[in-house]
Amino acid sequence: MKLSTLLAAGTILLSGFSAAYADAVKFEMWHGLTGDLGDAVGEVCKRFNESQKDYEIVCTSQGSYDNALQNAIAAYRAKKNPTIVQIFDAGTLDLLLSEAYVPARKLMEDNGYKINWDDYIPAISNYYADSKGVLNSFPFNSSTAMFYWNKDAFGKIGKTEAPKTWDEVFDSLKALKSAGYECPMAWNYDTWPIMEQSSAINNLPIATKGNGYQGLDAELIVNKTKFVDIIKSLKKAYDDGLVKIKTPDTGATIVQAFSNADCQVMLSSIADHGTVGKTQKPDMKWDVAMLPTLAGVERKNSLVGGASLWTLQGKTAEEYKGAAAFFNFIAKPESALFWSTRTGYIPVTKSGFDYMKAQGFYDKAPYKGRELAIASLNASPVTELTRGIRLGGFVQIRKEMRDALTDIFANKTSVEDGINSAVERSNAVLRKFEKTYAGKMLP
Amino acid sequence: MEKRATFSKMSVGVMFILPQVLLVFTFFYWPTGAALYWAFTLERPWGGGNEWVGFDNFRQVFADRAYWGSIFRSLIFAGASATLSMSIGLLLAIACDRSLKGYQMFRTVFVWPYAVVAPAAALAFRFIFAPEAGIFSMIVKAYPEFWNPAQNGYHAMTMIIICYSWKYAAYCFIFFLAALQAIPRSVIEAAALDGASVLRRVRDIQLPLITPTFFFMLVISITDSFQDSFGIVDVMTDGGPAKATELLVYKIYFDGFRGLDYSGAAAQSIVLMLIMMVLTFFQFRYIERRVHYS
Amino acid sequence: MIERTPLLNFLTYAVMVVGVFMVFLPLWLVFVGSTLTVREINIPELHLIPGTHFFENLQAAWARGHLGGRLFNSLIMSLGVATGKVVMSALTAFGLVYFRFPGRMLVFWLIFITLMLPLEVRIVPTYAVAANALWPFQSILDAAGVTDLIHALSGIQIALEWNLLNSYTGLILPLIATATGTFLYRQFFLTVPDELLEAARMDGAGPLRFLAEFLIPLSRANMAALFTIMFLYAWNQYLWPLLATPDRAGFGTTAVVELKLLAPTVSTNGGGTPDWNVAMAGCLIIMLPPLIFVAFMQRHFVRGLIATEK
Repeated sequence: MKLSTLLAAGTILLSGFSAAYADAVKFEMWHGLTGDLGDAVGEVCKRFNESQKDYEIVCTSQGSYDNALQNAIAAYRAKKNPTIVQIFDAGTLDLLLSEAYVPARKLMEDNGYKINWDDYIPAISNYYADSKGVLNSFPFNSSTAMFYWNKDAFGKIGKTEAPKTWDEVFDSLKALKSAGYECPMAWNYDTWPIMEQSSAINNLPIATKGNGYQGLDAELIVNKTKFVDIIKSLKKAYDDGLVKIKTPDTGATIVQAFSNADCQVMLSSIADHGTVGKTQKPDMKWDVAMLPTLAGVERKNSLVGGASLWTLQGKTAEEYKGAAAFFNFIAKPESALFWSTRTGYIPVTKSGFDYMKAQGFYDKAPYKGRELAIASLNASPVTELTRGIRLGGFVQIRKEMRDALTDIFANKTSVEDGINSAVERSNAVLRKFEKTYAGKMLP
Repeated sequence: MEKRATFSKMSVGVMFILPQVLLVFTFFYWPTGAALYWAFTLERPWGGGNEWVGFDNFRQVFADRAYWGSIFRSLIFAGASATLSMSIGLLLAIACDRSLKGYQMFRTVFVWPYAVVAPAAALAFRFIFAPEAGIFSMIVKAYPEFWNPAQNGYHAMTMIIICYSWKYAAYCFIFFLAALQAIPRSVIEAAALDGASVLRRVRDIQLPLITPTFFFMLVISITDSFQDSFGIVDVMTDGGPAKATELLVYKIYFDGFRGLDYSGAAAQSIVLMLIMMVLTFFQFRYIERRVHYS
Repeated sequence: MIERTPLLNFLTYAVMVVGVFMVFLPLWLVFVGSTLTVREINIPELHLIPGTHFFENLQAAWARGHLGGRLFNSLIMSLGVATGKVVMSALTAFGLVYFRFPGRMLVFWLIFITLMLPLEVRIVPTYAVAANALWPFQSILDAAGVTDLIHALSGIQIALEWNLLNSYTGLILPLIATATGTFLYRQFFLTVPDELLEAARMDGAGPLRFLAEFLIPLSRANMAALFTIMFLYAWNQYLWPLLATPDRAGFGTTAVVELKLLAPTVSTNGGGTPDWNVAMAGCLIIMLPPLIFVAFMQRHFVRGLIATEK
């Protein structure tokens, strides 16, 4: 016998709207996107709801990736969690090591969906898969880093193609400077393109143990790779006035500085392709290219960034059916086309990409050039060093590195010392993470 | 401080404080207790595990230079922003309290900054302080070193102190004004009849009479500066450049809820609480002595 | 007090005018931002001259943020917090200052310590309390063995539950549970002359009458100040309402949460249109009720008339 004291009824003064889908099974998805991207997620959910009558997904923005993660954790602990939650790349490992989720493949199999798992672009699926390559979450908003360049400015120095190696990049920057451009390249200390993506395409390790995929005892080793050389040449270019720092506290982000033709080159996410298009200086000609490699290096695939959708434990079979139907819906090529048209994110499956190509999506502006992101992700078969990154506390590691880079560029420390101390601090984070998950194995 | 005259019925007094005590217990002590328990374990964010590790987390926190740095910066921030916002608030309150013609309009306007959401204010200040586009852009063109909050930690700190004080001065203003207005008119009139000038009355009568509020503002601004700075740091500097504006609460939030190191964040929180208690204790012990109650 | 102090008056005005300028500069930038196009606002310059897209940005913000219903929620929450705080703090401070009982100082400090740990760092367990406000009491009963005892005696399993999520109560209560107001009233009550209580006693006034008829009228300006500040404080809350109102379609949420959702995502690989112009327009709409509220409240900042009344 159970006696529940329910006092809640009286406290809700304003009761909800009547449900539009009266008989449909309702389930929730929490995500971290806001502004125009948040609206785009809302539209995806609406399309799903209109595509069938059995389920209704309720999509709620939690304000940011951090808040989505934190709120989902709070709700999960109080057993009030949503069915689906969007978790950003660096939050993957904690969830992977917990018992809080239903693996993606299991969810689909239990609910009778036949998914061609090999259809996912390997560089994307490997990031979210377990050691056997089985997907645990569904890649959702995905991107990779690109080299943005101003064609007008490069025209002035007689170039019609983007530089392919760092040496060529620095030569071009010098030429741009001589041609009178104040800010040849905008940079913002962001580690994502320069440390993570750059290491991958040059096949440089970020951490031992296959970037952490083979165990929680991995150590960061970027201080022993050519990453140090890249930073050294970047610092030199900065000292020569070829690179300018653009962060919110200088008054403009790199994307703003590039869109406004103030700076001629930047490294940024392909997802910013749409932003540049919408906010660019009228008539400015620009394009994207794959990130430059080091001279003499065979290009490997770049890494996926963004977030994926996880199914959480503790919901009813009916809700899981709905979730599976939703995942099935967003995996359709038509959904990929809608999502990539509405946002700057890329399709995550080969069939989605092929469908978009067939529809002529990549043939003309404003979407022309975005196919290069897929080319970058497909540049090589996935290697041990380009699967992804499985490091605990990766948000702190990124911050340590960013702080070190800031100090290096402010001449407070040398390149080596700065990176060494960031690596040392990061390894302390990794050791603590290892201890926290003592006895846990990577699935 | 003790009152000489009081009511004698103890039970009645307890009734007055009971609601607040219940509320504080349920919504503060219980959750805080749960969070503080994590400081002695290694908490996994999604549950499970959590092994008891005693004072390990504290040892780690104390051994971390970055943590001491953030304590030091938080104290600087607290001191500077409390001084700045309280003096501006007090000055404006005294000006308004003179009830010159049209002062009502000023009185309304001076409260407004507190009505602006922190991210919007921070964004506006980002424009104002942008080295290449903002108010300093002319000087920066000639002397690039003059103002560069993206690389110079002192500049970044100055920027967040000003932005925070802009908002907080409104908070101080309203309480100082209320205190000034609560001074009986007769007291001031009597002094005026004695021939005391306006400035003299401010110094000898009004300021001493509002010391209780002054003390209140001092304690509250310092505790608040530890807490409310989060939104501004988050929008304006992200704790940068290179941790120069990494205040304690920002660091706790970052490590705990972005980095998912719940236990480390809990240990830092306990130390934060202890620091605040010590600070407050000293204020009550040494500054409150100079406060004139009745 | 009619005195001729032209120089001093000039200085006073000068101070106030400088103050107004300092208040207005950032506000003006927010306004100008709301009149630009996406392209214009993303040009890294100090925009001082308004553009021509004010009304379409306002409309966009209003529609995208569902601001109508949200403003109502914000209003109820802010009034609730302000009222709750003013009433509860007055009672508590009265109890603490005008009564003697054992552990009085301990209670004062227990309440005071709530100022020292911000909600940001205890938000996960606070959510658990909001999901079931009776959880602490259940735990205490469990620990004390009371639930087992009752279960053994009567076969009834006690499971206390009071879910505060998606309710005004849940939005309001955790924000009231701090010490600001209590401390303010304590400071004020301590300045009230002891003679007042003695005089009231002679009139035969009990504690309640003394509070209602003597202390409250005296603390009018302080009450107005506290009410105003708490209203604004609650209005601008973000983290707690975001967490405590998961049911956006039904209960909705507050206007400031919605404003934050209007603002573009700021993250490593963002990629949305940075339509700060719409966010700024939303900010103006959301600021308006507090500004009106402040203008309305200011009439209560009147000089105390203690001496002439008594």
